[in-house]
Amino acid sequence: MTAKKKILVIDDDMDFLMATKLILESGGYEVFLAEDGKSGVDMVKSVAPDLTITDMMMETWGEGFAVVSKIRSMEQGKDMPLIVLSAVDLQGPYQSYEPSDEFPKVNMVLHKPVKADDLLKYAKQLLR
Amino acid sequence: MTMTENNSGLILIIDDEESIRDGCTQALEKSGYTVLATGDGHEGVRIAREKHPDIAYVDLKMPGIPGMDIIDILSREIPDIVLIVITGYASIISAVESMKKGAYDYLPKPFTPDQLRAVTTRGIDHRNLTLETRRLKEEKEQVEKNFITFVSHEMRSPLVTIEQYIESLKVIAGDCLGEDAMHIIERCEKRIQNLEALVEHWLDISKIENGTLTQKKEPVNLAAIVARSMEEMIPLCQRRGLEMEKDIPGDLPAVIGDEESLVRVLINIIGNATKYTPSGGRIHIGAEYDDLDVRISISDTGTGIPKDKIPFIFEPFFRGKGKEDRQRGSGLGLTFCKKIMEAHDGSIEVQSKEGEGTTFLLKLPR
Ligand SMILES: Nc1ncnc2c1ncn2[C@@H]1O[C@H](COP(=O)(O)OP(=O)(O)OP(=O)(O)O)[C@@H](O)[C@H]1O
Ligand SMILES: [Mg+2]
Repeated sequence: MTAKKKILVIDDDMDFLMATKLILESGGYEVFLAEDGKSGVDMVKSVAPDLTITDMMMETWGEGFAVVSKIRSMEQGKDMPLIVLSAVDLQGPYQSYEPSDEFPKVNMVLHKPVKADDLLKYAKQLLR
Repeated sequence: MTMTENNSGLILIIDDEESIRDGCTQALEKSGYTVLATGDGHEGVRIAREKHPDIAYVDLKMPGIPGMDIIDILSREIPDIVLIVITGYASIISAVESMKKGAYDYLPKPFTPDQLRAVTTRGIDHRNLTLETRRLKEEKEQVEKNFITFVSHEMRSPLVTIEQYIESLKVIAGDCLGEDAMHIIERCEKRIQNLEALVEHWLDISKIENGTLTQKKEPVNLAAIVARSMEEMIPLCQRRGLEMEKDIPGDLPAVIGDEESLVRVLINIIGNATKYTPSGGRIHIGAEYDDLDVRISISDTGTGIPKDKIPFIFEPFFRGKGKEDRQRGSGLGLTFCKKIMEAHDGSIEVQSKEGEGTTFLLKLPR
C-alpha cells in the first residue's frame, strides 16, 4: 500500500479550510491546513505536500500572488502542482493587477465555491 | 473679527503700472500675504505656472499680451487659481467677458487698500471652499469605492464558505441522508445562489453608479452578441419547454460598446422571458436598423406585465408577484439593463399586454 498523498490548503477563512479538508479527505488524501500565507509557505517546506491549493485573496489581493511566487522559488515548491482558488471576478476592483512576466505559473485556477466532484477530479489529475 | 493680520496665501499681481504693483504689494503684505508682482504679461504667466499662486490679479490693459489672454491661459492651465481682473476702464462688458473666460471677480481702478483686501479675502474664501468641496467629493467617492470592495469581500466570502460546507456535507453524509434531508440541502443551495445573484447584481449597479465598472468602447457585432446570449440560455429554455428563435439581418451594422455588458443585458432579458412565459411558449429575438440606430427586440408569449406595473419595472428592487420558484429574483435585473443601455447612450423600452406577452426593445446609436 502506498502512503497517502499530501495536500496543503492555504486560505484565511478557517471554515472554508474545514469544508475543503472534508472533501479532500473523502478522496483519501492527507490534508494540511494553513490559515495565512506565511505559515502556508513554511508548511510547504516542513510538510513537503504533493499538491498545494491556495486562495488568491487573503488580506490583500497581492498576498496570494506573493505566496505563489514564494512557493515557486523554493526547492520543495518548484515543480509541485499548484491550484489557485479565486472568488474575485477579475472585472472587479482588482483588475489593475497584471501578472508580470516572471509570475510563476500555476497549474490551475478554480473559482470558489468549488464543486466537490471537480475538486477531487482535478486533484487526482494533478497528482497522477 | 477681522483676520487681516495673519492671512496666508500667495498672491500674484500682473500690472504694468508700477504704482499699482507697489501699492498692492504693500497693502497685501501688511495683511500677511506673500506677494509676487510683475509688469510683464509673459513673465506673469511664467511665474503663475511655476509658483501656482492662490490668487492672480490681472490688469486687462497692458502692452504686449492682452490681459484677457492671460486670464484665458491661467484659468485653463492652473487648477483652482482665483483670477481677479483689474480694470482701468470700469467697463462692464470687459469684466463680463473676462468672467466668461474664467475670472472670479473684478476690481475697478482706482481702488483703496481696504477694497483690495476685501476682494482678496473673498477670493481666498472662494478658493478654500472650492478645494474643500472637491476634497469632500473625493473622500465620498473613496468611501463608496471602499464600501463596494468591502461588501464584495465580506458578503461574498461567507456565502462561498456556506456553499463549500454544503458541498462537503453532501460528500461526507450524502449516502446517509434521506430524500427529505437532500431536499432541504437543495433548497438551501438554491436560496444561497439567489442571494449571491442579488449581491452580484447590486455590486454591478453600484459600480456603474460610481463609475468603477470597466466598460470597453469598441466596435461590437450585435449578431454575435445575440448568438452568444442565446447559446447561454438555450439549455434553460429547453428545461422550461420554451422555443427560442432569432431573425437577425446579416448586414446588421456594428455599434460601439462593451460586449460583455451587452451580453449580460440580453441574458437578463431572455432570462426574464423564460421566467414569465409558461412552457410551450416562444421567445423571438429580432433586429433592425436605420441611419440613426440599431434595435434589438426580445419578445415572449408570456404572462405580460400589468399596465399599472410597467412604469416601475426598471426601478431597483421592483418585482412582480411571481409565486413560482423560477420566478424568484432580486428585482435588480432590469435596473442593471437600463443602466448599461444608458452608459451606451442607448435606451430600453417595453411593450406588454397582459395575457399575451412582452417585448423589450434595446436601442443603440450607430
Ligand atoms: N418578460 C417579462 N414578462 C413578464 N413580466 C416581466 C418580464 N420581464 C420583467 N417582468 C417583470 O418585471 C419585474 C422586474 O424584472 P427584473 O428583471 O428587474 O427583476 P426579476 O426578474 O424579478 O429579478 P432579477 O433581478 O433576478 O432579474 C419582474 O419581477 C417581473 O414582474
Ligand atoms: Mg430579471
